[in-house]
Amino acid sequence: MDRNQYDYEITLDGERVPVTRGETIYEVSERHRKSIPTLCYDPRLEPLGACRLCIVEIEGARNPVASCTTVAQPGMKVTTKSARLEMHRRVLMEMVGSENRDLDVDPLSGYASDEMATLLDRYDARTKRFAGSRSGTSRPDDDNPFILRDYENCISCYRCVRVCAEQEGDYAISMMNRGFETQITTEFEGLLKDSACTFCGQCIQTCPTGALADVKALANKDVPGETEKTRTVCPYCGVGCSVDVMTRDDKVVGILPAMDGPANKGALCVKGQFAFDFVSHPERLAAPLVRGDDGELHETDWDTALDRAATGFAQAAENHGRQSVYGIASGRAPHEAAYMMQRFIRGGFGTNQIDNCSRA
Amino acid sequence: MKRPSDGELLAAWRDEPAPLLPLLHAFHQCDGHLSEKTLRAISADLGIPIADLFGTVTFYHHFARTPGGREKPRVCVGPICALRGAQEIVDRLDGATTMPCPGRCDQPVPVLDGDTILCGDTPATLTNVDSPLPPESPDEIEECVFAQIRTPGRAGLAGYRETGGYEGLARALTGSPQDLLESIDASGLAGRGGAGFPTGRKWRAVAEAEGEPKTIVCNADEGEPGCFKDRTLMDYDPHAVIEGMLAAGFATGATRGFIYLRYEYPETQNILERAIEEARAEGLLGSEAFGPGRPFDLWVRRGAGAYICGEETSLLNSLEGKHPFPRNRPPFPVTHGYENLPTVVNNVETLASIPHILSKGPDWYRNLAIGDHAGTKVISLSGDIRRPGNYEVPLGFPLQVLLQDWAGGALGDRDIQAVTMAGLSGGFLAKDDLDVTLDEPSIRAKESFLGAGGIMVFDDSRDMVEVAHAAMEFFAEESCGKCFPCRIGTHRLTERLSGGGPSDLGDWVDEVTDLGQTMKQTSACGLGQAAPLITESLLRYFPDQVAARVENR
Repeated sequence: MDRNQYDYEITLDGERVPVTRGETIYEVSERHRKSIPTLCYDPRLEPLGACRLCIVEIEGARNPVASCTTVAQPGMKVTTKSARLEMHRRVLMEMVGSENRDLDVDPLSGYASDEMATLLDRYDARTKRFAGSRSGTSRPDDDNPFILRDYENCISCYRCVRVCAEQEGDYAISMMNRGFETQITTEFEGLLKDSACTFCGQCIQTCPTGALADVKALANKDVPGETEKTRTVCPYCGVGCSVDVMTRDDKVVGILPAMDGPANKGALCVKGQFAFDFVSHPERLAAPLVRGDDGELHETDWDTALDRAATGFAQAAENHGRQSVYGIASGRAPHEAAYMMQRFIRGGFGTNQIDNCSRA
Repeated sequence: MKRPSDGELLAAWRDEPAPLLPLLHAFHQCDGHLSEKTLRAISADLGIPIADLFGTVTFYHHFARTPGGREKPRVCVGPICALRGAQEIVDRLDGATTMPCPGRCDQPVPVLDGDTILCGDTPATLTNVDSPLPPESPDEIEECVFAQIRTPGRAGLAGYRETGGYEGLARALTGSPQDLLESIDASGLAGRGGAGFPTGRKWRAVAEAEGEPKTIVCNADEGEPGCFKDRTLMDYDPHAVIEGMLAAGFATGATRGFIYLRYEYPETQNILERAIEEARAEGLLGSEAFGPGRPFDLWVRRGAGAYICGEETSLLNSLEGKHPFPRNRPPFPVTHGYENLPTVVNNVETLASIPHILSKGPDWYRNLAIGDHAGTKVISLSGDIRRPGNYEVPLGFPLQVLLQDWAGGALGDRDIQAVTMAGLSGGFLAKDDLDVTLDEPSIRAKESFLGAGGIMVFDDSRDMVEVAHAAMEFFAEESCGKCFPCRIGTHRLTERLSGGGPSDLGDWVDEVTDLGQTMKQTSACGLGQAAPLITESLLRYFPDQVAARVENR
């Protein structure tokens, strides 16, 4: 780290560290791997200061402050870990744990869905202290096929509301009522499909408890095997969103947006996020079909099918010229197939009439 | 009268400053509720996402969303009224619902009926009554904000002028803003809404901050249970508040002001609007308020029932039409206030003190106090006390003298068991700790604070666990829901004070203590930090009552 690029120093757990003007204490601490706990923080969003887990002590201040909303000032002396801070963090985790129906959810629920459970373990906070009524009313009536709205597991961190507004610009959801009665809602408590929601799924992926969860992925929760992740680029359009495709024994079980994807930084759209089940759909063709003299399609072998296609293409080019051929690759095909397709059209026929249904 | 069309209502407000709240009130008043159609029209017109607008409307207690909802009577079930038969009124009054303390603890039980407040202790005796004037100061101790308030006609511009009103401002306008700032500094005046920040320093920070236009906001959201001093000041001395705001505007270079008034003071709104009209008509407000080309104007904006909007950054979000969560601080309103521009937020009592300081001088004001303190404080006294009401005392005045000598002590042959401080936010004082003097250092030494100066008295017949329960229920209901410790903590403490929590007394006390400690030290704003003072002081003074309650469940 080049100290010359920084504006001033603060003291972080006894060590002098360089800071850029405007950086929050949380950001500085993250750079120094302090691993400060938080539940309402998402680096892509404006910090809110709701969960108070990221509290730190500042010399001269009576109470701890939330590091996510406090800008590091020159000369500040900051302590990120102390008996007092750890005590408060444990009590806060016990409090949060007391308001939810489930402390653990299926890992296919969403990218961040294990955050609360991880912190409950870290702070040894599965104590059942502070038991009482639970917050949040789930919406089983919202039968949309993508987003589970299980608010009995909601901790009111507002990451969903903020990602919807700040990242997606949809403003489809907000918070209603106040205090313990707070509830994440759409306009007039309606269904997501009747709201401004575009089903991009970003609320699911930032939710730290699985209260908002991926219905499509959860449908595969009983598929056996270890979940493997494969980094690729979404084929549905030209933006180039990075995704991690989750598979179990070669079956696609879900899609995660890549938080470090250079084009999307964790964002996806409804297609990239949810439209993967065609891959192993029972109605998907598994063998080639050719049309017989009876006008119906009949299953055949690859050689027969390819011969038939080659003959047809060659005839068209011969009878009507090279510009009579036009290829459209499918957004549901692999990138490699799309590449082969354009080589086939350009090289094989000498025409540039090649396109892709995903061109956006 | 024919209802104006949606378009007419929208046109009347869309270009006014801070239009959302008055627009919502306009529709609420016309239709008796806020319909989906109304909210969609406002959303489209003001460019507020409909989900956000819907969520924000649900935040406020008093916006009805079903037809006829606005006209249903709302009955105070605050800590004092609960002891005066409030629940019986709720049960017997047709269609009545409950509401948190509307600032009439000196006239229990108040019922909000449309735009009128009725008071009485049975449904049959409910009548509309004016705010009581403050009782005369018995020891002839000199007052500041109450010095002229009992003069008949003081609320009108002519009467205000007859008692010296606007003279101090006129003199200040002949000098420089710098002179005025120095005078306020020298007076030692500090915020009377509870936080006690030096007023001169606040004004100076705004004067020196970059960005225009600057704004003066009068915090008249007096939502703290047990506090009703600002209501009296505005009802009988509205021009003092306006003069104070004008002085603040001149000192800081601000050109606009808002009085953010709580929903529960409908009569006060009329009084303020009338006073502003009078001041405008005489050119005290308007395009030449401070001389040619030097404007200052101000508007009343009515809240809609949310205690947290008395927190200054929630108030600013509410004024701006946003969800009224408190903002993170720093930055503070003096640099990033209304519309992110430099803003003074002062309490009514603070602003009403200014004209007196301007006319009688900073030394006079400073010397009103006893000892090293500066100035006076209005105390709203209510509950089990012979003469409830607003008393202006010198800072440093003994609490017992106020309770016993001025206000006549407990009712009947009872003794005072406990009093609250800062309305409810300071928790209880009891036993030997009642021997404090009324100033922050003395009361803070007892783990409490004076705050806005509301003191509720409970005699020795009262069940203090039940009083604490009612207090915590209020905080739970008013917690905004932004930060975890307050949102969850106020609710868990309420449950524990109403029969919930561990069956073992030791475990019960541990839970209540741990919740309180973490709320106090990690909550994002004063609500969550102060609420556990209730349980802390309950355990400190009344461990036997707590033990009896927990063990006899």
